[in-house]
Amino acid sequence: MKTAVTIPKNRNRRSLSKTDRFTLSAFVGIPSLLQIILLWVPAVVTIILSFTYWDGIRLKDIHWAGIQNYKNIFFNNPIFYQALKNNAIWLAFFLLIATPLGVLLAYQIDRGIKGHAFYESIYYLPVVLSLAVIGIIWNFMFQPGGFVQGVMGRDIGHAISIWGNSKINTWVILGVASWRHIGYIMLLYLSGLKSVDPALKEAAAIDGATDWEIFRKIILPTMQPVNIIILVITLIESLRAFDLVYIIYGSPTVFPLLNLLVFQNFAGQGISMKGAAYAVILLLLCIIPIITYLRIVFKEDLK
Amino acid sequence: MSEEKNTVSRRSVLKGAAIGGAGLAAGSALSAGTATSANAAGADIHWTTRGGGATGDAIAKAVNDAFTAKTGTKVIAQQVNSDDFQNNFAQIMQGSPDDAFGWMAGYRSNHFGEAGLLADVTAQNKALGKSLPASAVQAATNPVDKKQYIIPTTYYPWALHYRKSMVKKIGMNPESINNWDDLIKMMTLTKKNGLVAYAMGDKQGWEAMGTFDILNARVNGYKYHIDLLNGRAKWTDAKTKETFKYFAQLVPFMNPNFMDIDWDGCRDLLLQKMCGAMMMGSWFANDFKAKSQKDYDDLWVVPFPEINKKYGIDTIDAPLDGISVAAKGKNVEGGKALAQFWGSKEGIDAAVKAGDTNIYVSKDFDTSAYDAFGKQKLAVLASAKNIMFFADRDARGDFASPVLAPALQAFMKNPKNINKILENTQKQWEALPKQ
Repeated sequence: MKTAVTIPKNRNRRSLSKTDRFTLSAFVGIPSLLQIILLWVPAVVTIILSFTYWDGIRLKDIHWAGIQNYKNIFFNNPIFYQALKNNAIWLAFFLLIATPLGVLLAYQIDRGIKGHAFYESIYYLPVVLSLAVIGIIWNFMFQPGGFVQGVMGRDIGHAISIWGNSKINTWVILGVASWRHIGYIMLLYLSGLKSVDPALKEAAAIDGATDWEIFRKIILPTMQPVNIIILVITLIESLRAFDLVYIIYGSPTVFPLLNLLVFQNFAGQGISMKGAAYAVILLLLCIIPIITYLRIVFKEDLK
Repeated sequence: MSEEKNTVSRRSVLKGAAIGGAGLAAGSALSAGTATSANAAGADIHWTTRGGGATGDAIAKAVNDAFTAKTGTKVIAQQVNSDDFQNNFAQIMQGSPDDAFGWMAGYRSNHFGEAGLLADVTAQNKALGKSLPASAVQAATNPVDKKQYIIPTTYYPWALHYRKSMVKKIGMNPESINNWDDLIKMMTLTKKNGLVAYAMGDKQGWEAMGTFDILNARVNGYKYHIDLLNGRAKWTDAKTKETFKYFAQLVPFMNPNFMDIDWDGCRDLLLQKMCGAMMMGSWFANDFKAKSQKDYDDLWVVPFPEINKKYGIDTIDAPLDGISVAAKGKNVEGGKALAQFWGSKEGIDAAVKAGDTNIYVSKDFDTSAYDAFGKQKLAVLASAKNIMFFADRDARGDFASPVLAPALQAFMKNPKNINKILENTQKQWEALPKQ
């Protein structure tokens, strides 16, 4: 309560010049306006449309549907649960394996292990490629008639089923996605590590701390802001996954993901507001955990 | 949320942009500028070529130039990516569309015609008169409002393709495959010879619809199939289940990696002599020709064999293509005139001369110069009296790819689950908004 009262008082005392006020309102106002027009208005429209039936052509054809689109998705669409499962696996894999691996690599490289410059560049290389390009590359490798199958001496008729084999395709796709994600996380973490005062580490080492203790008790807490960014990025990357899989399959049905279903139900002749409902579900899945997490973290910081 | 673009028309996006930022506003001003200049130039007609690469451009140029020579009206053509055009069709048609373009009959023209995006070309089809067979005109007519939104031009059969040399080696004659038992026998033999007996690629989800269409039409007849795709029959009916019993018999003869390859993978199986039969639209024959004349001469096509004596081989999937006119184009009358020209004898002659290998529905189309494979295609088409357009054109768009495609994939992955899959398909049909 005390802080809440004092802060506004401080603000009132500080007077801004006219130019300051103009610059501030321009710098805050224009982006906010653009954000509202280009992002929040469409988002609100999507939420409203998700409660309607519409083929996206004439406004007069819009009918109120109530929660029918959602009911249909939740009760009649097995593909929705497959997509949810795939997104969940994707998220778990990134959170538990790919992201920690990236962090670990960054830590090792920062310690200056032998040949660290070499490792840094090979892990960083995939990051410059977009996921769509990565999809093209790995599809060329694994598809029947592709490079890997050719090396194994298998022609199209006898090619091992990889993309279409539901037993392994999840792991192959996650491997390919991690190929890029690990490098990305490594790069972010590395830039953070460079700013950690080496004196801290040296002091801890002199006091007899092990490597693991240094990492856990010194590095991780000092890196808190970077940790938040990495966690949020991992969450968003996993939930918005689309391009890699779309490029490989050309359709959303073999390896469904939420974003692919949004696209399928929103584009071309398949257009129906089920797509809007999928988009809303995805939006909620994205922002609820992120907002909750950020609130907790910032509350702790205030303490 | 980039997906949002799909729900609002391009115009309203531009309007929004005009409020939002000066840079984008300049963009919309630019497009307004081109609009006025086109109007000032008078009766120019804009044409969209839907894919087809250099050949597509050459054909469009030949026909459009012939039109210009005849009428003196300039035609400005552009080629677009076929999939992009299809996926953004409603948005393009509501923005500033070209006046005329190649399009597809069935649900894809009827739906957009009813929504007021395609112009009524009934008068143009009437003007083409007797050159258009009654069946083609019938096929181009929207059953709901009885109007025609497309001038029918070309079609191609979906049927069983073989390589003559291969079936000979195995000791079978594809011409003698008259019924289901013959087909099973033939496939068993092919499999014994270490080949894929029934090539299937369903990575994208639409390819297997060709097999489903023909099986359902053979087992239950044309009428039932169309009724089913339009909700007048049920997916859970015993009749539908019967079709899937036959489908399930085909699955063990397919290449196990059917979820890994799409239609061009199937084509390669046949091209590289690794499969016996392939159920596919004949359009891919051009790729055989491109490989070598020898490969092309080896290719043969026969109708899918009879299953139910009552229906024989009276039905075929032969998607009908044609020319449509944008209702919101700048020169609708010009577009109609150009579309009619594409369907006329002069237009067809120009297209064929420029390398068009499609079969035209028009009676003015000269088939005497056709090669053996081309003539066989005509014979296969002639053997059927009912024409289906393929499931994704016969059924509504929010059902075909979002519901039917994954259902067929799930079925082929695990044929034993068919009852559950069909129940679910029916539920999803019932959940669709009424039209």
